[in-house]
Amino acid sequence: MSHDIKTALNQGLVSCHSCHLLSRSAGPDAIMTCPRCGTRLHRRKPNSIKRTWALVVAAFIFYIPANVLPITIVVSLGQAQSDTIMSGVIYFIHSGMWPIALVIFVASIFVPVLKLIILVFLLITVQRKSRWRPKDRTRLYRITEVVGRWSMVDIFVVTILVALVKLGGLASIQAQSGAVFFCAVVVITLFAAMSFDPRLIWDTEESLNE
Amino acid sequence: MSDSKKDVSDLNNVPEAEVRSRKRHFSFSIVWLVPLVAVLIGGWLVFKALSEKGPEITITFKSADGLEAGKTKIKYKDVQLGQVSAIKLSEDLSTVIVTAELVKEAENFISVNTRFWVIRARVGVSGVSGLGTLFSGAYITLDPGKPGNTTHHFKGLELPPLVTADLPGSLFLLEADNRGSLDIGSPVYYRKIQVGQVVEYRLAEDGHSIHFKVFINAPYHAYVYQNTRFWNASGIDFKLDTQGVRIDTESLVSIMMGGISFGIPQAEAPNTPAEPEAMFRLFRNMDEAKERTYWLKSKSILYFDESVRGLDIGAPVEFWGIQMGQVLDVKLVFDSKKEDFRIRVVVETETERFYEAGFIGNDVERQQLFVNLLARGFRAQLKTGNLLTGKQTIALDFFPDAPPATLTMEDGAAVFPTVPTPMEEISTKFMNILQKIDGLPIEQIGNDLRDTVHGAKQIAESPEILESIKNLNATLQETRLLVSDLRTTVTPEISAVLEEARQSLDNAEQMLNADAPLQVKMNTALEEIGGAARSMRLLMDYLERHPESLLRGKGPTE
Repeated sequence: MSHDIKTALNQGLVSCHSCHLLSRSAGPDAIMTCPRCGTRLHRRKPNSIKRTWALVVAAFIFYIPANVLPITIVVSLGQAQSDTIMSGVIYFIHSGMWPIALVIFVASIFVPVLKLIILVFLLITVQRKSRWRPKDRTRLYRITEVVGRWSMVDIFVVTILVALVKLGGLASIQAQSGAVFFCAVVVITLFAAMSFDPRLIWDTEESLNE
Repeated sequence: MSDSKKDVSDLNNVPEAEVRSRKRHFSFSIVWLVPLVAVLIGGWLVFKALSEKGPEITITFKSADGLEAGKTKIKYKDVQLGQVSAIKLSEDLSTVIVTAELVKEAENFISVNTRFWVIRARVGVSGVSGLGTLFSGAYITLDPGKPGNTTHHFKGLELPPLVTADLPGSLFLLEADNRGSLDIGSPVYYRKIQVGQVVEYRLAEDGHSIHFKVFINAPYHAYVYQNTRFWNASGIDFKLDTQGVRIDTESLVSIMMGGISFGIPQAEAPNTPAEPEAMFRLFRNMDEAKERTYWLKSKSILYFDESVRGLDIGAPVEFWGIQMGQVLDVKLVFDSKKEDFRIRVVVETETERFYEAGFIGNDVERQQLFVNLLARGFRAQLKTGNLLTGKQTIALDFFPDAPPATLTMEDGAAVFPTVPTPMEEISTKFMNILQKIDGLPIEQIGNDLRDTVHGAKQIAESPEILESIKNLNATLQETRLLVSDLRTTVTPEISAVLEEARQSLDNAEQMLNADAPLQVKMNTALEEIGGAARSMRLLMDYLERHPESLLRGKGPTE
């Protein structure tokens, strides 16, 4: 043991997810509960890689209709105009409102894609038991967790607009199916990020050290 | 190691995790349901998109006014059928090509007969339409038309069609000499009710007439019979004749836009209803429509070897006094074979009149019949229609003595044989007379006449004549003296007599005056006489009944 790093795992200990009580693991395959609060105990998040993969795949699939289908339809003086996320961004660019275009682009297009790509990258490196820069990879994971929720900005904007702009025949905005898919993408990527266990990045390091 | 032992000892205080009995093991993680659902939804979306994807069509318009790619809808009866996806200019920059994606269902009813046009706000004589598009923006609409071959390339209409496939009624074709003041949208009236409108007009293929398409709305299209007459009811029909002034018009709109009326001549009863798209003749006015008119016409050519002075274009062609047609053209031609000039007259005959007269059968039979008629001397000749103006007409008649002639064809028209006019015969006779006059010994007659005049002069200049004249002069002088004598002596007496006569007349007038005493007396006397006469009659009556009273006298009254 070149390093003196002791982990709970190699000490045969398990932490409870709920009350964080340490308890002694009964065995690698045993099903355990916390002696204090009764929560199921796992050494690592169960099926982390499988779950994350499944959610990432689902998010990718939903990402297509989220971008192809219109998210809003603006009826102004009887003239209806439906917009997808990208057409909205282009509209703002054409009308010279670069900051808004940038915000929408970053929040709605860049961030979801970034998250998905990071997750895929992490999943692949973990599965290949790569030892490449575990610290940086952990930092990437932290980014996905922090930045993920901001993608909901778009959905919030749409919901607020739909609620506010109800001017009868003059103007009204309605949410379209694209918004639902976009919401699904954001939520599923949030779950995917949650279900990924970053300790797996370090487990490779530990197992090789042993 | 001690550290680690210590650690271990510390760890000894860690409680044991509780072990549960193993539950059923799922080899399949339930989390995969999430992407599965995603795939299902995605797949369903793709399937839906593909199955709903209809035909992509292109429509050409003159201008893309009001059209916007990605926004302009294609609607039919206000149901969205598609959307304009792209607008670009044609290669020659003359038109715009609008690409549109239609829904799947549209595939079933778009065909070569489908017409597309843009709904915009329009203001016209017949009304205002499409105001809604001021707010909503223009949209493209369509009329499916009759089923036909499928096509994906259309030529858009610049103006909305007046008649769409879902409008009940019938189309009819009208043929007219000219367009008049009729236009697309001009109303069609039946008994002064507007029942339809002009949908289309175009020049006939031969360029000789104008073909109108009129649409008669249901249920009025049932009133169009095979013997229905259409006439142009445009503007105001103003007529000044022996019956006074007459002004006829259909409506204000027809004054502005022109109009068409139809009806059946009063002498006729409606026969079978007309088939849709049946062809009718459009008469110039109501009177012409009501007259007996014939449209089946044929041209024939007549050659005359004589002067046609007074034969104008439009001169009537008559057969026994009934007008059969008119002269279309008169021109001089040179016959190089005979080295002679001739007059070539083209006439138009209303062959329908012959058919109506019973001259029917198929073409060959008619030809034979015609040849037979020619053999019997059926000929054309020039005839003076008006002695005052010298206008000539062409008369058809039978001339049994005419030299035999055959029917020849020229430029697809029959060459009808002619006979010289009676006028020409008369002039020939007149020439003969002139020749005879020419043959008379005019010079000798003149000489004789001169001799006679000479003799007369000699007589006039003779002394006896002078003597006689002198005597005559003396006699005349005496006569004048006598007359002046009469004037001086007789005239005063005559005037005195006349004065008296006037006085007598004055007296007579006074006597005859109503208030003159004589007149009054006369009246009284006459009344007396009347009373006497009455008494006389009473007496006579009494005597008649009582003749005995003559002897016995009038008895006592009973």
